[in-house]
Amino acid sequence: MTAEFNQLVHRVRDFIARAAARMRAAAYAVERDYAEFDEQFNALACELFGLQFVQNKVYRRFCEARGIGRNVISDWRRIPAMPTTAFKDFDVTCLPPAQWTAVFFSSGTTGQRPSRHFHSPASLSLYEASLLPWFVRHVLPESISALANAGSAIAAVTAHAGRWRLFILAPTRADAPCSSLVYMFDTVRREFGSAESEFFGRTTPDGGWRLEVKAVVAALRDAAESGRAVVLLGTAFAFVELLDYMAQTGFTCQLPPGSRVLETGGYKGRTRSVPKSELYGMISSRLGVPNTHIVSEYGMCELGSQAYDAVAGRHGGSGANAMRGPGDGNAVGRVFQFPPWVRVQVVSPETGEEVTEGATGLVRVFDLANAYSVLAVQTEDLAVRRGTGFELLGRARGADLRGCSLLQVP
Amino acid sequence: MELPSYFIADLPRDTHLTESLLGEACRALKRNRAAHLATRPTSELVAFLAALGANWLKPDFPFRRMALEQGPGQTGFSAATIARGLDAFFSELTAENINALLVQEVGHVARLDKFVPEPVANTSPRRAALARGPELIVHVAAGNLPAPALAGMVFGLLVRAAQFVKCASGAAFFPRLFAHSIYAADPKLGSCIELAEWPGGNTALEQALFSHADCVTATGSDEAIAAIRQLVPGHARFVGYGHRVSFGYIAAEALNRASASQLAALAAADVAAWDQLGCLSPHVFYVETGGEFGPDAFAEMLAAELDRIEKLEPRGMLPAEAVAQIASRRAFYEVRAANLPDTRLWSSPSSTAWTVVYEADPQFQLSCLHRFVYVKQVRELAEALRGAESVRGKVSTVGIAAPAPRAHQIAAELAAWGVTRICPIGRMQRPPLLWRHDGRPALADLVLWTDWELE
Repeated sequence: MTAEFNQLVHRVRDFIARAAARMRAAAYAVERDYAEFDEQFNALACELFGLQFVQNKVYRRFCEARGIGRNVISDWRRIPAMPTTAFKDFDVTCLPPAQWTAVFFSSGTTGQRPSRHFHSPASLSLYEASLLPWFVRHVLPESISALANAGSAIAAVTAHAGRWRLFILAPTRADAPCSSLVYMFDTVRREFGSAESEFFGRTTPDGGWRLEVKAVVAALRDAAESGRAVVLLGTAFAFVELLDYMAQTGFTCQLPPGSRVLETGGYKGRTRSVPKSELYGMISSRLGVPNTHIVSEYGMCELGSQAYDAVAGRHGGSGANAMRGPGDGNAVGRVFQFPPWVRVQVVSPETGEEVTEGATGLVRVFDLANAYSVLAVQTEDLAVRRGTGFELLGRARGADLRGCSLLQVP
Repeated sequence: MELPSYFIADLPRDTHLTESLLGEACRALKRNRAAHLATRPTSELVAFLAALGANWLKPDFPFRRMALEQGPGQTGFSAATIARGLDAFFSELTAENINALLVQEVGHVARLDKFVPEPVANTSPRRAALARGPELIVHVAAGNLPAPALAGMVFGLLVRAAQFVKCASGAAFFPRLFAHSIYAADPKLGSCIELAEWPGGNTALEQALFSHADCVTATGSDEAIAAIRQLVPGHARFVGYGHRVSFGYIAAEALNRASASQLAALAAADVAAWDQLGCLSPHVFYVETGGEFGPDAFAEMLAAELDRIEKLEPRGMLPAEAVAQIASRRAFYEVRAANLPDTRLWSSPSSTAWTVVYEADPQFQLSCLHRFVYVKQVRELAEALRGAESVRGKVSTVGIAAPAPRAHQIAAELAAWGVTRICPIGRMQRPPLLWRHDGRPALADLVLWTDWELE
């Protein structure tokens, strides 16, 4: 990478650290703080676009085909957004292959080629710097102070103080080295997990994930008796697997107060998919975790940052705009928010232009933590625009082309 | 114009349908058939249907006007698309065509009225035969296009069956207008038709309905057909039409300076008809290399023609999910086209109205429809058929453009491969009345014969 590129990444990290510090302030409100960071975000995004245009060949050709050159963008909203499907087809990265030390694959359905997001030690470090403050703010808000002194989260969390017992319904990093979600869970475990934290997933020979349901149930029993709050993290699919097993065996438990659930969307076409309100209802009735302590995450392997739809234990979403009146804590109508180093647009699939407040469109993400790949990413997810966030509706699946037709990467 | 409240489908949306209501309707249908339809001469029915077809082609026919005025809101097709689709269907509904259909299907125009001697002389014994339609046909109509449901109703009338048309939820608009046009012209015939609408999969209602029928026809996805088949009682005949796909094949000789742009216009018409939503609509055009124009040049001409059609006959409004699918698939090819020389993309600016993707790869690709079409390059038909192997047995129509001697050869190869309909490009979504739907007889699938050995 060029010195210019490294310097810009340094500034991005600095921006993330300052925004994260700002978040720790008591009166943080997403909407206002987004505005506060607008100018810096725009400057960094436009500069980053220029460098990615140079470093990322696939992206450059995409921009050029649209008649967009390297120095013409002065507003982040005009940065061409790379479709997530391009990550299936091409190596969408600024990193030269010699620097690839990790790759994250999306969890596509069988026969589909997965998306690939290449990482280096530097890009993984940036990934962690982005994920931790926003995760803590939403899932472990009690531990925000542990993230003091921007940039040195690791040092701040002393052994056993502020550590949580994490039940991770996913395989270990060793077992699933190409999952960005597992990487995220592992990072969270390293930073905030107590020694009793455990991964309960295994990978199957076909690349799928299976849950050690009996082990989870034993751990849940133990947790219920211990009286100490626990954190369950997993995909919606994993929770359905667990809850179905619990229903079959008639097992329910009442996890200690303060226990919480982080659920991340996606059923990967493998099992029955359950409407969110039903899933939340089952989690509440079978595990004793109320809706107010269930947080959903929106993330994907193509992105360096994640969005959340609630703060555990607090009514409403992550900011003032997400306060939605008496329905607070409900599974439906929740608003996802990205951190201040990310901007999101909901764009009309018909015209590509941003929709008005309350209208439906496709989620487009501008993520500074994607410094090493492409910061502007066009997803296939349909959502309703809500302030600076969005209410997720579902996936368009427009490019679910049969795998056999997808070409080899040139 | 207000439609009178006559059919079940005319009742308010929240009307609760019960098994006993359906049973009562079926009994009434059978009574009305016995009184008003069972003894009508075929010639009268032919004249009636031909007159009705002619009326539907008239701009001031109230039911046609209603279809064009309310259709866009009810069905999502633009008025111009509806007009062209209605013209394609009703222009086929002439006395000449109906009589030809009778001859094709049952051998003689009067075969449904009386015993008619078998035409082959010198067989022993000499025979005569009479064809009889079912007492009650239940049609289970899928949602996409009106033509199959309307054709089913025409065939049902011709074989003098009472008919219950069960429409998919939200898909009753055209069948309902057509049924009302029958009722308005001849209330007695109209009384032999019933129409209702509910979301498929209501096993209790459907089973109850089928128990009254001696013939059930259905169009829909293969899964839906299989599910319906399970509910049809053993004594009733089941005629199911599953999901099919279609494509075009253009020989190199057809792509010359004199004909290429005309051919592109015809191909675009096939894509635009009913917004590409029918089983007969092309997903892909296979184009041979070696012509005066290359496959990619043809793709560009096709794009220009789709753009021209969009101005005259705009694509309909779509729900957000469908638009998002088109946008997402386009985005995928946009990146490919920018990075690979063997992919190109043309698309309507600032809208998802039409899209053409050119790929050198001959692999058949299902389109996301709504005027999104692939052009793929092949050296010969065999290469196209290898590419389409994944849909073999599911192909309805292949539109072809080739000079006569090659067309014969291509048609023979396509037939051997399993294609059930071959037509010129430009006519893919305009099947004749005599078309054998998915390779099956049109009327002959509905009737039972009585053979009479004379001596």
